[in-house]
Amino acid sequence: MPTDPSAAGRVYPPQPYEVSREKIREFADAVGDPNPAYRDVEAAKSLGHPDVIAPPTFAMIPVLRGFDVLMDDLGIVYARVIHAHQRFAHARPIHAGVQLRTTTTLDSIRSVGGNDLLGIRCEVASGSGESICTATATLLVREVGGDDD
Amino acid sequence: MTEIGTALPQREFRVTREDLVCYAGAAGDFNPIHWSDRVAASVGLPGVIAHGMLTMALAGRMLTDWAGDPGAVVEYGVRFARPVVVPDDDAGVTVTVDAAVSEVRDDGLVGVEVNVRVGDEKVLTQARAVVRPPTNG
Repeated sequence: MPTDPSAAGRVYPPQPYEVSREKIREFADAVGDPNPAYRDVEAAKSLGHPDVIAPPTFAMIPVLRGFDVLMDDLGIVYARVIHAHQRFAHARPIHAGVQLRTTTTLDSIRSVGGNDLLGIRCEVASGSGESICTATATLLVREVGGDDD
Repeated sequence: MTEIGTALPQREFRVTREDLVCYAGAAGDFNPIHWSDRVAASVGLPGVIAHGMLTMALAGRMLTDWAGDPGAVVEYGVRFARPVVVPDDDAGVTVTVDAAVSEVRDDGLVGVEVNVRVGDEKVLTQARAVVRPPTNG
């Protein structure tokens, strides 16, 4: 079922996410990155950070919370979704202890070859509203049950 | 001094099904195309594929290892051009990454072009970052 084109422009309620040292360490382990700035507070402080910081793509975790709300709204199951493009622009690194609020906007819906391309923008901010990261994504929503493969 | 054309050391990363399970849990991304052959086939994929975000993160190691401070990676974007199929065996798949400085900006930041391949096929395209270069770069 194609995505409702009138959904373009929808802005979803901010989703909270509290960044913990343990989650940063777990994520760094999962991507095999031994950098001490993710694990050792003193190492992070020596680089000028207030606490351990997160890898550049860690922002995808709070961003996914925003995607979840959007997918739920549009009735899309993730098995149909292919990640086509992702970009992060960091105003400053994410560090442990920060309370994030991610506001998701469905910027665009385009139909390409029977599939839908969703342009999504997530603004990740601190609890006080300071911008931390802008994440833009393109998701390809496949029409399941076709015989084009 | 970092100049246009400065190459970052080429790296190879091995990705196995176990890595996908770890990443799924750590990132909270449980899309079944990253762990179920049955679901992957049902949506027309050749098999279980790696999370694009895992491949992006591995390629990002080039940038953070080079910069030293992971917070020096200011912008980072990629296009997921081809799925990285991960076989259900111990060897997995090998992702090869190389990168070079493509732009030196007036504000001291540099643009880096990243090439990410499996064999001869580019799996990420338009992979670009803006990084504060290492002071000894």
